[in-house]
Amino acid sequence: MNVGDPIEQSALDRRWRLWASAAVGGILVVGAVIGMLVLPNFQRENAALDLWTAICRAVGITEGSPAYRQPITTAQALPVSQVAWDPDVLDILANANPQQGAQIAAQVCVACHGENGVSSVLEYPSLAGQSSAAIYKQLSDYRSGARVHELMTPYAAQLTVPQLASVSVYYGRFAQQATGLGGRDLPGDDYIVKLAREGDSARALPACDSCHVPGAGGPIETPVLTGQNLQYLAAQLRAYKTGDRQNDVYRRMRDISEKLTEQEIDGLARYYRGVLF
Amino acid sequence: MASIAANDALPVPAAAPAAGEGLRSRRLVLSHFWLAFAAFLIACVLGAWQMWARSPLDAPAHTASNYFRSVTLHGVAMAYVLSTFFIMGFGYFVAETALGRPLKWLKAGWWGFWIGVVGVLMAALAVISGKASVLYTFYPPMTATPWFYIGLVLVVVGSWIWCGVMIAEMSFWKRDNPGQAVPLAMFATVANAVMWLWTTVGVAAELLFQVIPASLGWTQMVDVGLSRTLFSWTLHAIVYFWLFPAYIAFYTMAPREAGGRLFSDTMGRLSFILFLLYSLPVGMHHLFMDPEHSSGFKFLQMVLTAFVSVPTLLTVFTIAASLEIAGRMRGGKGLFGWVAALPWKNPMTLATGLAFVMLFFGGGGGLINMSYGMNAMIHNTSWVTAHFHLIFGGTVVIMYFAIAYAIWPSLTGREFASLKRVRWQLWLWFIGMMVMTIPWHGLGLEGQWRRVAAFDYTDPIIATWGPWVIVSLIGGMILLVSAVLLIWNLLPAGLGRRTVQVYRYAEAVHPPGRVPAALNGFALWNVLVAVLMLAAYGWPIAQFFADPPPQAVIHHMDRGID
Repeated sequence: MNVGDPIEQSALDRRWRLWASAAVGGILVVGAVIGMLVLPNFQRENAALDLWTAICRAVGITEGSPAYRQPITTAQALPVSQVAWDPDVLDILANANPQQGAQIAAQVCVACHGENGVSSVLEYPSLAGQSSAAIYKQLSDYRSGARVHELMTPYAAQLTVPQLASVSVYYGRFAQQATGLGGRDLPGDDYIVKLAREGDSARALPACDSCHVPGAGGPIETPVLTGQNLQYLAAQLRAYKTGDRQNDVYRRMRDISEKLTEQEIDGLARYYRGVLF
Repeated sequence: MASIAANDALPVPAAAPAAGEGLRSRRLVLSHFWLAFAAFLIACVLGAWQMWARSPLDAPAHTASNYFRSVTLHGVAMAYVLSTFFIMGFGYFVAETALGRPLKWLKAGWWGFWIGVVGVLMAALAVISGKASVLYTFYPPMTATPWFYIGLVLVVVGSWIWCGVMIAEMSFWKRDNPGQAVPLAMFATVANAVMWLWTTVGVAAELLFQVIPASLGWTQMVDVGLSRTLFSWTLHAIVYFWLFPAYIAFYTMAPREAGGRLFSDTMGRLSFILFLLYSLPVGMHHLFMDPEHSSGFKFLQMVLTAFVSVPTLLTVFTIAASLEIAGRMRGGKGLFGWVAALPWKNPMTLATGLAFVMLFFGGGGGLINMSYGMNAMIHNTSWVTAHFHLIFGGTVVIMYFAIAYAIWPSLTGREFASLKRVRWQLWLWFIGMMVMTIPWHGLGLEGQWRRVAAFDYTDPIIATWGPWVIVSLIGGMILLVSAVLLIWNLLPAGLGRRTVQVYRYAEAVHPPGRVPAALNGFALWNVLVAVLMLAAYGWPIAQFFADPPPQAVIHHMDRGID
């Protein structure tokens, strides 16, 4: 391709520009015409649409499917929890005042849950190690009645939502100190360790650790189990099993607990028990 | 002598850089290659364990969190470290050897390397700590620790420096050699650099405006549709970024190593330009099953995707023709006699042949993936995993090996101690990849899903998959053996006597004289890429701003929501 002459060279360059642009543009136009005009025209009849709407849908200007309005169910959902992780709730938590939380905690919470969130009463949960989202979810559920406890329900009902958030954030601050415990290897008998770490696929039981260790990727309100009090853990699993506790979204924990034997409940509670500090 | 490469031991010409220590970028190239292959070896170990974990056999340390940690590290090491550092190292080598003069911006290359190293360490430590098990794809709302993303951004910044060096070296050369055709190897390398700059725009926007602010806790919600769209901008072109070195080897190394000439230099230039054009406006074929885009744009991008097959078909034709020239020059006769006459003991020739076999299967699978309708059958199944292992892990990576083998003597000044061991390594890689991915394809068609840590083999349907997963595991083990062999071959322990070699590229049957500006630079093609991107991605991205959809709550892998 020896084209020495500058005039000839520039004519050649121009031809390349022209034909390359035409080819690339042509392919683009053909693709767009088929995808955005021809196909919608063929498909519109099945969707009972006029041509213009079909084209607008194909281009993505008008909302797409379903073309037919779907029947809307009249069944009323009965949410087990009023907590929805929308921007408002996240803002409340993000802007909560931990000092205010500390004051409320000093007056109300420490008696049972300890100053650092470590409960000395084994029937009550330790809060250290839990994220503020996990604590907020439970406090909100007590407040709304989704979860019931003779002491917690009246306490939570007295507090405003911002106050709940400030307490959650206050206790959530101990999470970082306790997080290191989450990934450690806990001692336990082999069967229980396997159940906790791998689940039992034959019974469709997921691993506890697939949600309940920090960073596992489960729902953000999932509590961390490591270091939790034995009696409390066992009692909660039994409450889910019998249906006494029902504030688990999508029945996840009720479904799981129903499949656990009494021995497994005790074994898992023992496995996750630990001493935080 | 079964010479490695038709790369004769030449007397060193006075004007050319002396081999080995004469190559100014020698240390830079070797540093890149060794980092790439070290990451590769680690990733191979993890990959084999992952196959074990998914099989019915009990794998050690098999938990879901270990599995996803491992998959993330495997993906990051293979897709970001092996590929990027190999491509950068090879680019510096090509710039010096194809242009026949030392790099002017060598120091910038070292800056790029060290920035990349810092980034790799940050990302790797983040993954190992378990705070970044988000796989190597950036799909919010799940987000990892910011160290992971900032580390990977540094790798990209290092690669941008490489792009700058490549483009600058070509410009300097063109200024000094007016009217001359840029050597094909360099033209292709710069095509890749230009494409990579375009490619990274999508993921850079996603990381800088969405993911990193989210991972730092500055934002609480994220528009996942927009994230997925921006990532799709990068996701397909990145594959072609990885693929370029393989094609550069097909065009500018294999014909000569087989003892022949390149059938057409122009065809090579056209292929690389077509890759630049049609790698980018096509990423939406990864989103065929996503609800956020309309069918019209999906169809348009499917049509454009179909055109990516054109440069591949051009290449298969041109390289087959070039090899036929070589075979006939070596005395091959008849319709297929030239195939038998090829020097199959030469690693580059062998690798090219094996790569083409894998390209046949992988490319065929790819045509199914890109078809809007058929995609629905295999979406998110093992079929997809099999496809990209066969194409990237197979066709492309085997050519990375071949390139390393071809240029190693000129980099180290030593020949390989055993070419037989080199061939064994290539054969094992090919066999391992086929044994691993063919059953994977089948299982994908049966619906086996990807991105899961384990299968419930007590389920009678899933139980029937078990034997085939074990076959894949055997393939994975063969691949691991091959990876260890590769490192052995490249280490000083695998090298033999001293040699002085200057790497020479394949010459075309008709060497290019003066070529049209369009085949010697990228100005025109950049304009056309911009037009294509505007048409293919303009409205699909603008719609998120014109009519903002509901956003998702960010889920931090590394902490609660505090």
